[in-house]
Amino acid sequence: MKLSQLYLLTYILVFVACTNSPPVQSTNDKIVVTDFRGVEIKLEKPAEKVICLIESALSGVYMLQQQNRIIGVPSAVYNDNLFQYYSRLDSRILNKTLPAPGNWDFISIEQIVGLKPDLVIIWSSQTDAIENIEQFGIPVYAVMLHSFSDIYKEIEDFGILLDCTEKADSLVTFTKNEMETINANNRNQTPKSIYFMWSQGITETSGKNSTVNELLEAAGVTNACNLPDEHVSVSIEKIYDWNPDMIVMWYNEKLNPVDVINDPLLQGLQAVKEGKVYELPEVFACDFWTLKMQYPAQLISKWAYGDNSDTENQNQLLRKMYVQLYNKELLD
Amino acid sequence: MARKTLKYIVILTPFPVMVFSLFLGASDNITFKKIISFLFMQEATDAEMVKTILYHVRLPRILLVFLTGGILAASGSAMQAIFRNPLVDPYILGLSSGAAFGAAFALFIAVIPIQLSAFIFGLSAVSLSYIMARKNKQVSIVSLILAGIITNGIFTALLTIVQIVSDPFKLQSIVHWIMGSFHTANWFKLKLVIIPAVIGLFVMFLLRWKLNVLALGDEEALSAGINPDRIKIWILLATTLASSAVIAVSGIIGLYGLIVPHLVRMIFGVNNKSTLLMNLLLGGAFLVVIDDISRSFKGFEIPVGVFTMLICAPFFIWLLKKTNTGWQ
Repeated sequence: MKLSQLYLLTYILVFVACTNSPPVQSTNDKIVVTDFRGVEIKLEKPAEKVICLIESALSGVYMLQQQNRIIGVPSAVYNDNLFQYYSRLDSRILNKTLPAPGNWDFISIEQIVGLKPDLVIIWSSQTDAIENIEQFGIPVYAVMLHSFSDIYKEIEDFGILLDCTEKADSLVTFTKNEMETINANNRNQTPKSIYFMWSQGITETSGKNSTVNELLEAAGVTNACNLPDEHVSVSIEKIYDWNPDMIVMWYNEKLNPVDVINDPLLQGLQAVKEGKVYELPEVFACDFWTLKMQYPAQLISKWAYGDNSDTENQNQLLRKMYVQLYNKELLD
Repeated sequence: MARKTLKYIVILTPFPVMVFSLFLGASDNITFKKIISFLFMQEATDAEMVKTILYHVRLPRILLVFLTGGILAASGSAMQAIFRNPLVDPYILGLSSGAAFGAAFALFIAVIPIQLSAFIFGLSAVSLSYIMARKNKQVSIVSLILAGIITNGIFTALLTIVQIVSDPFKLQSIVHWIMGSFHTANWFKLKLVIIPAVIGLFVMFLLRWKLNVLALGDEEALSAGINPDRIKIWILLATTLASSAVIAVSGIIGLYGLIVPHLVRMIFGVNNKSTLLMNLLLGGAFLVVIDDISRSFKGFEIPVGVFTMLICAPFFIWLLKKTNTGWQ
């Protein structure tokens, strides 16, 4: 075994000898923003090559008309339900030439480094990936959205990083005004209580400290779930305790409102008895972690207090919002 | 093929496998031609980029994968020897569930580093198994395995609680961590692993010949002047230390520590004196190949733990049916 022992020793020496540190870039910074970790992102000049690995943030960049700066997108963009929209927003996505170096959690560090970006936008919960990207001297803007004010901050920060502050301000002002109008329209109504149902099933909902709660309040209704959690799994009995006036379902591929209305377990609920169960349409249109929050707010408001069968009117609302936010027709 | 020839093939394989792996990756910009011209002429276009990707992305990952595969296989082999049971792997005493809970807990509270938490809880789980199994200052193998099952159950339950109360972002991260992956491998992680890994391996290698005596039974070991309990504890400590360190950075790589020792035993027999090194080298090289497949996809990575399960499970069944993979 002498040869093998020598070989083993060689391997150990290679391991020890190889451990060194990657290069770190120095910068002469003129642009500074603080991301959602509380970390200052410093750039010498506006980012020109951006990899955005969060679909909702990517949506914001396209709203800011800064798609020419995007060099990498999340792979989810190439899934059918999102591809139909992004392929209209960017011909590189239509032709599938825009690299997708990762998604929600799994990313290819190698592809990211190989694209030589000067900014990467990623969820702040991806701590391992952030640490890895930053060691190559690539600035990372980490995002975590817990409220509408976070979404406004995100867009305003993008405005600074991508040199389009005016556009960012106008989009934020427009959205705030729309949300205020929706809320003002229902100020004289007795607030209805809404149970929000996530796509995992009837028992998955969000409590008071959540973006869902903010969305419901903006729509002039109250969240039936009085628990504090952002996302919580509750028992059917708890839903009976709350006995909501209406159930709003997040877009669900497996269930539709009729299934919920016919569910024998839920027959005692006021909302089910009155058939007041509604499903938000596709995720892209109702993504309330973007400035599109106004659309689901309008829908919930209409379902609660107005005419809820007018699909033609809903489509018009959506078409108008897309043109105002993206400056493009995204519907046929 | 003669066993001796096979032995030299296994000894010499890791180096070319690792060099070949340097040429594989997801980046479209780093072509084979660029790497060759960088390595041999130092004049590739994008030389800085090629250097960064080769030395700071691919090389630390390849080395970390090799070390992980080698340690899981060597630890599996050593544990099968001390337990005298071919169905044992490094996870039998609750290491994987402890580490998974540790990682999930760290992701949930976001205060302590994931790797540190996984390492601490992995070690704690094995310690708990040992404490539960210890009775009258003695630890029987059956009690230890049963205690391991209980510990696995406890930490799996705790992990489930963390998953239930986690928001979707954290839940996704927990699930991905459990799947096992090297997509964020770097020099820092390699540095974290190298010391406990080398210590663990060193102890295993020092005691490797005593594993053969233990395989004969405790009484035979005593009559040969070896204290079996003491040796078992040292081996347990060494395998747990090394395996905890690699699991903390890689996540759970399922079945690997079970199957590679069988493969090695099938080729080289049951002499632990030589098979421990074969496990280290073959286990390391094989996992590098599996990870090459995992990281060569464009745009996304399939967790290496998924591949080891998909590749190793059918292989193991084939092995069971076609060959005599018995213990003796």
